[in-house]
Amino acid sequence: MTELKLAESFAIVALNAQRSLELTMAKKVALRCMAAAVILELHLEDGLQNQTAQKRLKQDTTGGSAEGTYRTTVLVPLAGGKRKLNRELSWWLHRVSRLSTGKLVRFERSIAASLEERGLLEEIPHLLGCDLYFHSAGVSIKEYRSHASEYARITEHLRADVLEDGVMTDHSVCMLWLLRESGCMHDLFSRNELDQVTRKMVSLMQSQPLAKTLYPLWVRRGFEIAVKQILQFKKRAVSTQTGSGVNFLFPILERSQAIFIDTEAMLPGPGARLSDVLARLESKGHRVQVLSKGQVPILKIDNLVYEAIPHAVYGRVPIHGVRLLPKHPV
Amino acid sequence: MSRQRSMEAILASEYVSIGELTRLTGARYSTLKFYTEEGMLPFEQAEENLTRRYFRESTVELISRIKQMKADGLSIPQIKNALKEKR
Repeated sequence: MTELKLAESFAIVALNAQRSLELTMAKKVALRCMAAAVILELHLEDGLQNQTAQKRLKQDTTGGSAEGTYRTTVLVPLAGGKRKLNRELSWWLHRVSRLSTGKLVRFERSIAASLEERGLLEEIPHLLGCDLYFHSAGVSIKEYRSHASEYARITEHLRADVLEDGVMTDHSVCMLWLLRESGCMHDLFSRNELDQVTRKMVSLMQSQPLAKTLYPLWVRRGFEIAVKQILQFKKRAVSTQTGSGVNFLFPILERSQAIFIDTEAMLPGPGARLSDVLARLESKGHRVQVLSKGQVPILKIDNLVYEAIPHAVYGRVPIHGVRLLPKHPV
Repeated sequence: MSRQRSMEAILASEYVSIGELTRLTGARYSTLKFYTEEGMLPFEQAEENLTRRYFRESTVELISRIKQMKADGLSIPQIKNALKEKR
């Protein structure tokens, strides 16, 4: 069991199932929030404005700190040169929201390396590589996979802290804000639970000092907000009687994929279908746990849960198989 | 400022919260909540809206026993009966 800092805990949640080689919009948003988590981590340790904190900040910005280099990759661009470091939390977070793509990528490399070193994160072939078209074309895409039990510990602890009555820790107050900003809420909370989370956030904003300062702030950039607003418009436009669906809310921030896996036989029974799917996933290095069997089995693949729905793709000949659809929350 | 307790502090304390139990045992929050509501995990609560507190040692042991019984193929009612008999 490892004792993790805020930025590391959040990175384990935010980097899981993200493409490791490409900078997707979802990953860019996650990286910006991870950089904000570094600032919050410092804020939780010593505050940002007292003398000890200033000393620590100076050490971190010059790379003289014993703590991981991931802090340096965020703090140097923010506070490098002759800038005054004695600033408020909102100033630091505003600066984070303006970090360039190149700096975010450097930060990603350093934090991913530090987590990989401790066996908390690994690079595996992307789930999309199991899809009929990608598999047959030999395309290789990589993704991050977080350590399963550490991922579960972080997310379940946060769920318990948020959904239970009583006092919430500052760590959880920050994690909740980071999840909101990164669009990862749906990975952890069901739609019903999200109502409860909203109520909790509103009550925290009225009573908890850190939430009062933090929750009105945001770290997204203009373009990312524009994307979100376009998607909200799209959501209104595509709403049906059965609901709008999570994919219509933030498809661009969606990390789990709907993929098609072809089966060896035509019209196979549920058992044969499932064993073909498991064989394909395991051959690509994915960790699969069958949560329930039957006509539509539920599978946990690398920390995310999917439904394996029987499906056929029609070309010159019909190809039978299953479509893996993400099931929220975990 | 309400700080998150370190693992060292959790392991040294007599009582833990349900969130800390998820960290100690790796069990899902919803599972622990279900066990609590079914009366399988005893707890203490000062007032209705305050955090539930569990005895760390006995609860961790209880959760690992429940996990073992589940792995042995026992159903929830059977596990509940087995726990009642032991008490």
